[in-house]
Parts: sequence; C-alpha cells; structure tokens
Amino acid sequence: MNIFFDQTINGLVIGNIYALMAVGLALIFGTANLINFAHGSVYMAGAYVGWTCVTYFGFPLFLTFLVVMLFCALLGMLIERVGLRPLQNSARIAPLLATIGISFILDQLAQIIFSPQPLALPPLISTKRFSLGATSIGVLDILIASVSLISGALLYVFLRYTRMGWAIRATAQDRDAAQQMGVDVNRVNQVTFAIASALGGLSGMLVAMYFNVLTPTMGFQAGLKGFAAGLIGGLGNVPGAIIGSLLLGLIESYGVALLGSSYRNLFAFVILLVVLVLKPNGIFSKGRQLPPEPMTGTFIASSKPVQIPRSVLIGVSVLAFLLPIISNNYWLSVFTTALLYGILALSLTLVAGTAGLMSIGHAGLLAIGGYTSALLSLRLGLPFALALLLAACVTAILGMLLVMPAFRLRGHYVSIATIGIGEIVSLTILNWESLTGGPVGLMNIPPPSLFGFEFYSNRSLYWLSLVLLLGLALLQWQLVRSHIGRTLRAIREDEVAAQAYGINLNRYKGIAFAASGFIAGIAGVILTHSYTYINNETFNNTISVLALTMVILGGRGNIIGSILGAGLLIVIPELLRDVLGESFIVYRMLLYGLLLVLFVRWRPQGLLGTV
Amino acid sequence: MKLHRASRSVGVVALLALLIIMLSSCGSNSAQSSNEPIVIGVSGPLTGTNAQYGEQWKKGFDLALDEINSKGINGRKLEYIFEDTQADPKQAVVVANKFVANEKIIVELGDFASPASMAASPIYQRAGLVQFGFTNSHPDFTKGGDYMWSNSLTQDDSAPLHADYVHALGLKKIGVFRLNTDWGKTTYDLFAQRAQELGIEISAVEAYLPEEKDFRSAITNIKNSNPDGIVFISYYGDGALLAQQIRAQDIHLPIVANGSNYSPKFIELGGDAVEGVYLSSNFAPTDPRPEVQEYLKKFREKYNEESDYFAAHAYDTMILIAAAIEKGGATREGVKKGLETVKDVPSVVYGKVTFNTETRRVQEPVDVRLVIHNGNFEVWDGSLPASSASN
Repeated sequence: MNIFFDQTINGLVIGNIYALMAVGLALIFGTANLINFAHGSVYMAGAYVGWTCVTYFGFPLFLTFLVVMLFCALLGMLIERVGLRPLQNSARIAPLLATIGISFILDQLAQIIFSPQPLALPPLISTKRFSLGATSIGVLDILIASVSLISGALLYVFLRYTRMGWAIRATAQDRDAAQQMGVDVNRVNQVTFAIASALGGLSGMLVAMYFNVLTPTMGFQAGLKGFAAGLIGGLGNVPGAIIGSLLLGLIESYGVALLGSSYRNLFAFVILLVVLVLKPNGIFSKGRQLPPEPMTGTFIASSKPVQIPRSVLIGVSVLAFLLPIISNNYWLSVFTTALLYGILALSLTLVAGTAGLMSIGHAGLLAIGGYTSALLSLRLGLPFALALLLAACVTAILGMLLVMPAFRLRGHYVSIATIGIGEIVSLTILNWESLTGGPVGLMNIPPPSLFGFEFYSNRSLYWLSLVLLLGLALLQWQLVRSHIGRTLRAIREDEVAAQAYGINLNRYKGIAFAASGFIAGIAGVILTHSYTYINNETFNNTISVLALTMVILGGRGNIIGSILGAGLLIVIPELLRDVLGESFIVYRMLLYGLLLVLFVRWRPQGLLGTV
Repeated sequence: MKLHRASRSVGVVALLALLIIMLSSCGSNSAQSSNEPIVIGVSGPLTGTNAQYGEQWKKGFDLALDEINSKGINGRKLEYIFEDTQADPKQAVVVANKFVANEKIIVELGDFASPASMAASPIYQRAGLVQFGFTNSHPDFTKGGDYMWSNSLTQDDSAPLHADYVHALGLKKIGVFRLNTDWGKTTYDLFAQRAQELGIEISAVEAYLPEEKDFRSAITNIKNSNPDGIVFISYYGDGALLAQQIRAQDIHLPIVANGSNYSPKFIELGGDAVEGVYLSSNFAPTDPRPEVQEYLKKFREKYNEESDYFAAHAYDTMILIAAAIEKGGATREGVKKGLETVKDVPSVVYGKVTFNTETRRVQEPVDVRLVIHNGNFEVWDGSLPASSASN
C-alpha cells in the first residue's frame, strides 16, 4: 500500500511534466492539423534560452520565464511562417516534412552555439521538500503542477470565451468554412503556434530546472512522450491532454514498480495503442466514433506525377549495373546503403503513399526481418536464401498483425499508432534477452550467400542490392497497377465511399501492410547480414523518420520517387562531408535540415509527384 | 514523350550530383613520400545524441598530438581525419569504406558504440586495416578478427574491482542502477558475479535506457528493497541525474559509482548530491604517477578545464598508437605488428600498456578508489561510510 502511494506521487509528478508538452502539441494538432516534429526542438530552445538568461544575465526566475515564453512564441511564429503557411494549399503532409527539417536545424544550432556537452542549471528556487509517506515532493514539483494547471485553465478560458479562441476553434473544425466566415486563418495559426511554442519553451525550462541538466537533443524523446500523453487524452482537447498526461505518468510509474525501468516505455506505448484502438478520440470521447476529420483524402494533394520515359529508366538501370567498374569502394558502399534504404522506402511508399496510411514505425519491420534471419542462420544454421525468404514472410505476417488493431484509424492517428508499434518492437527486442541477446545483441551473423557464393565484397553486395531493389520495384509496380493498387488508392481517397462500394477495408489494408512488411523485411535481412552485428539500437526510430522523409521527398506512392528520395537522403549527407571539410563537419546536419525545408518549398508534392 | 519542366530540373540536379560523385571518386592517392604526415582515421560522433563524447575525444587527441609532433615519428608528423558518423551503423560502414580506400590512412580509431563499430569491423578486417576501438567494451568486439584491437577497459578487470571497492566499504546488501546497453549489461554481469563471491547481496537491479531522465519510480523500487548501499554502472550524465534524484528523495545511503562517471561534469551536474559519492576509477587527479600529473596539467593549460574519462582515454590511445607506429613502421601491417610488440607504453589510464596478443586487449588496469569531497575527486582514505545512521 505504501509502495502504491509512493509510486502514485511519482507518477503524478512526471505526468505534470508530460502535460506541459502535451498541451502545446494538442493545440497545434487541433488547429493546424499537423504533427509538429519541431515542437521538441522548441522545448529544447526554451531550456537553453532560460539557461542563458540565468547564467549570463542573472535574471530572476519570473523574468526568465517571461523571456523564455516570448522568445519561444516568436520562434513558433517563425516556424509557422516558414514551415506551414507557404505549404497551406499543397499536400497536407508537406508541413510535416518541413517541421522535421526545422527540428534538425534547431537541434544542430543549439549544439553549435552551446556545445554538445550537457549543461548544468544552478538551483533557482528553494530545494525544500515535503515528505509524503516514504517519498517527498519539492517546491519545484508544486510549481510545475501549478504551471500546467494554470496554463491549461487559462487556455480553456481563452478558447471558450474570447473572439480569438472562437476563431481558433472554428479553424480547427473546418478551416475553409472558417475562412469563408471571415476568419483570418493565417493569423489563427500564427497565434496558435505562438501560444503552443511559448508553453513548449516554458516546459523545456521547467524540465531543465527539474533535472538540472540541458542537452541539445533533449527534445525528441520529450516530443514523443508529449504526443502519446496528448493522444490518450484526445488530441486537440486541452483539459484532456492534461489528464491524459497524468494518467500516462501514473501508468508508467506503476509499470516500473511491477517490472522495472526497462519496461517503462513499453507500458507507455502499449497503453497508447490500447487507447487508440478502443477510444481513438481519447478516453474522454463518447463511444468509439472515429475522429471527425475527413483526413484520408485530404492527405494527398492532386498533382500530376512526373512521367519518366521507359528508355531513361532502362538506361539508368544499365548505368547502375556498370557503376562498380568506375566507382571506388567508398562510393560503392554509399550507393549500396542508398539501394537498401531504397528498398525500405519502396516498402513504406506502398502503405504511406498508395494506401495513404502514414507509418512512422518502419524501422520495427527492419528489426523483425533482421533478427528473424539472424536467429535462423545462427541458431538453426539455415542457408541464407532460406533464412531471407522465411524472414521476409515472418516480417510480412508480424507486420500485418501488429498494425491490425490500428486499421480502423485514419490520418495522423495511424502515424502515431505506428510510432508506438515501432517502439514496442524495439523494446521487446531489448527485454527479451533469452531470444535476442538484449542489449548485447547478436554477432557473427554470416554474410549474405547464394549457392556457396558469399556476397562479401562491396561489388557483390552492391549488385545483390541492386538486383533486389529492381526486382522488388518491378513487383510493386505490377501490384500497384493491378486491381489491388486501384483498390488501395480508392481507400486512400475516400474510405467511406470505398466501403460503400463493397470493398473490405481491413482485408486490403492487411494486404498492403503484408506486402510492405515482406519488402522491408528483405531490406532488414540484407542490412543485418552485411553488418554482421545487431542489437536493439541498430534499427532505431530515427530510421523510421528517415524512411518517411524519403517517401515524402520522392512523392508518395511513387515507386521511382521513393528510390530517388532514398538516394538523395543517403548521398547528400555524404557529399556534404567532402564539400564542408573537417572543420565545418558540424554544419552537416544543419545543412541537411535546410535542404529538406527548401526541397519541400520547391516541390511540396514530392520531387516526382504523388501517384 | 514530352518532359515535364520540373522533371527536367530534377534531371539536372541528379546529373550534377552524379558528376560531383564521379569526380570525387577519381582522386586516388599517390605514394607517400617520407615527409608527408602519417594519417589516422577516426570514426565517431560529432553530431547527434552522442556528440558530447566525440568532442571529448578530440580534446584528448589534440593534446596527445601536440606532444607527439613536437618530436615527430621518424621525422614525420602524425595527423588524424575525424569523420562524423553520429555513431550510426549505416554511416560507420560507409566511413569504413572511405578510410579503407584512402591509402594514406594506416590505422582507424573508433567507432563510439558497439552497433556502429561492429558493423564496420568486417570491412576493416577484410582490408587489413587495424580498427582500434578504444571505447569498445563489448566482450566480443576484438573477436571480430585479428585486426580488431582495443584498449578499452574490459569489464573482466574493472567490474570485479568495482565490487571489491563495495566490499571494502563494508556494504553487505546493495541496490544497483545500470545502463541497459551492451556495456551496462556485460559490466553488471561481471560485477554481480564478483559481488556474489564476496558475499554481497544484490537486493534490486534497475536497468534504464540511455535517454531516461526520470528515475523517481526506479529509485522507489530500489529503496523498498532496503539496501545499505547503492551502486551505479552508468555514464556521468545519467549518474549525476541519478544521484540528484536519490538525494532528493531523502535517501542518504552510500553510493559507489564506476569509472566512467569520472568527469568534472559529474560534479557540475550533480552539485551537492554527488558529495560523498565513491568512485572506482582508473586514474585520479591526485594520483602521484608522473604521467597522470603531467597529463592533467597540460590538459588544464590547453583547455582551461578538467579532463574526463573519455578525453583521458583518447589521449592514451593516441600516445599508444604513436608508439605502435614507431615500433612497427608507418604502414597498415606495421601498426598491427607494432601493437603486437609494444611493451610498457606509459599510460594515464593503465600505468603501462602491453597487449595480450591472443585477446588483443590490455591486461590489468590500475584501480584508484576515489571519493568526492568538497566538490573534488579525492583518493579514498579508507574510512567507512557512516551509513545506516540516516536510515
């Protein structure tokens, strides 16, 4: 009983921290209908601005909070101006890519300005603690709780009773209708971003005070958790976001008490999935009704895909086969990586593009494929070809089964569910030590081989990857232009209409995910066997984000586009290596982010357009 | 077929990119002349989540190079090329190929984490280029081939010493926090084995992920197992956070941390909370050995800050590699031969380094027992913790 009480207090304290983050994200999601990947970076920026105010200028706490909020509000407005407004009339997904780029830029800037070393924040308020049972709460805990409750209450009042609040809610409900009624939608978005970012920055500062430490990369994980928390309460619902956060904190806390720290995030994401499946609108919604957004169709902007003549494609393929003759081993390995990530992008573009189900958990599929074939070769001594085939099938089946609960979700909810699924896969690998070796991983995985020939050299690995990529691309092309492809596109454009026409949605979504899993599984197998060593960190969630970036960049559903996207995103960072030289290497990821933002401005529908 | 305007510009971009690639792949290296510098490749994180460690490496390397290049190696200067991999396997593999293709590079150092280093190992092994993984504590790293070498502390040595320190402090029942990575897991297993031999009971273990920031619930678990001491198998960042949150819960049990917490950042981030923490370290500022004192003094002069574990290790590695090159010759094979034959190279971390040519690891590191007193690392004077009084 005593333990229960302690863990309850612990859970409420950490839940309050999630709440600060979740409120801002909920607000932006509500009005702009955007998963703001840059929000974690704003949170980080808030912490660093606060640190500067305190250590350089010696500002008192209250003034520091004010400066932080003001700075972050301006930063939020800037993000809206650069990342959202110019892309308003293009594909709905384009701003998501822009915010990924912006978050790269902000994180890297912090690293350049403040060094990558963690910084300490001197204690700013009384460290007095009040004991409560066996545990205790401090002044800071109370401050954080009051800030999140007060800001939640203020927001509620603002949204409910002010003209601007009405405008925000109207825009959230129907942007076009609001505009027609004379609401300045751009201004609404600007205000939303300003408020949400000010809160995000403040939470960054409070968390930095709480943990007494700041790092340039502190935002990403915080953003993920904030999203999970907000979703549990219902996105776009401010009081819900706060209660959802407290619940998440509590559940995690009890989970740790039961099974230990390694299972903490597993609890968080399993709960997230359960909520998504049972109550996709958050636990405070009535019944199991679907989110009110007509999202599926609006995701895809109508654009004409670029037609590339067949002769050019054949020519490029032939050139690709001849490349090893002139290229050195370094560039050959760059291209091999690009080809293998091309396979991954191919797999993702099938579900994210053709079927309109934006998955941000594809690294999980790589991991399933890689671990399956590694275990089959190591433990059972199966030949590579057999292991490859079996692993691809296992990935197809597991991939489909894991996503199945999320089939009834649409739009951004699919993305969030798949983030959760990706995390669950990675945490299962970490904790299932008897099978996967846990953090120690699997080593001495044999290189790919066929009929006694080992694909050991760079050239042979390149050719193997090229043949697989071209083969799978052709297969996918056949699939996409068959009735299955047409059906998937119909589902993407309008689920209700497709269903009315007699299409079994789950069956076709299942086919899409199974095919996608099969292809991603193959990429995972080849990567794993060429690395010869993997552990739970090899295929992490940054790969999922990278894969999505490739797909959006190339043009969703566009087979050639996804391969081009993969090629560019693997080759560009390597090119920057030589262009920048050693002294400017720290600007590499900064430029990468900048290029992403520019690309999306230039071709919001993707380089080759959506198919 | 009519080409769309956009696709034409795409084509132009693609062509340009291809051209640059082809151009850069043409440049091959001419034979080395006797005055050209000797080049080392470093593969490690300069951006991304592990960038802080790459930055410490650089400080250690640069300091060592100042020293080495004041004399030179047979009249030649030593240089390194640091390629950023973000400790990401896919970039580490590519960088490995880049280094292997560059004939000037005769030895490679890194990468930071096992998934990246060990993914690159086959490439180095095949090319016959020594991969010197100086932070690779994974027990199987050097089993990747006879070109995989490491002077990282094998936990075979340091983890039992850590347990011995716990024993010397008179602690009988301990709660353990460990990082849930390959390093944390292997270290813990060896630590627990020795602890068992010494009759120390481990009442609870909490394994946490590297990005974890909140330990309140885990601390409650440890606390409820009623230990009389707490052990950290952590890095300085999370170690400092742990100490703070433990003290904030009014738990005043003695804390015994392992060597990778040795960093001025541990004290800076931990503040009052790390006061009185015991550390089983490999070197100490008060260590009278001249190589330690010399190193710390020079580090302070150059960077105006205290060295940490990672910088000291990088410094040591560079000195060691220079000695191996001097001994075996400035070629790829020479480095390997040099590493096999060097004897008693002076070292900050180990005192003296000689390799076991079977395991390609260093034997018998020095263990210094430290305690944090008034915000400084001091050598432990042998007094037992006044615990249990506060419990």
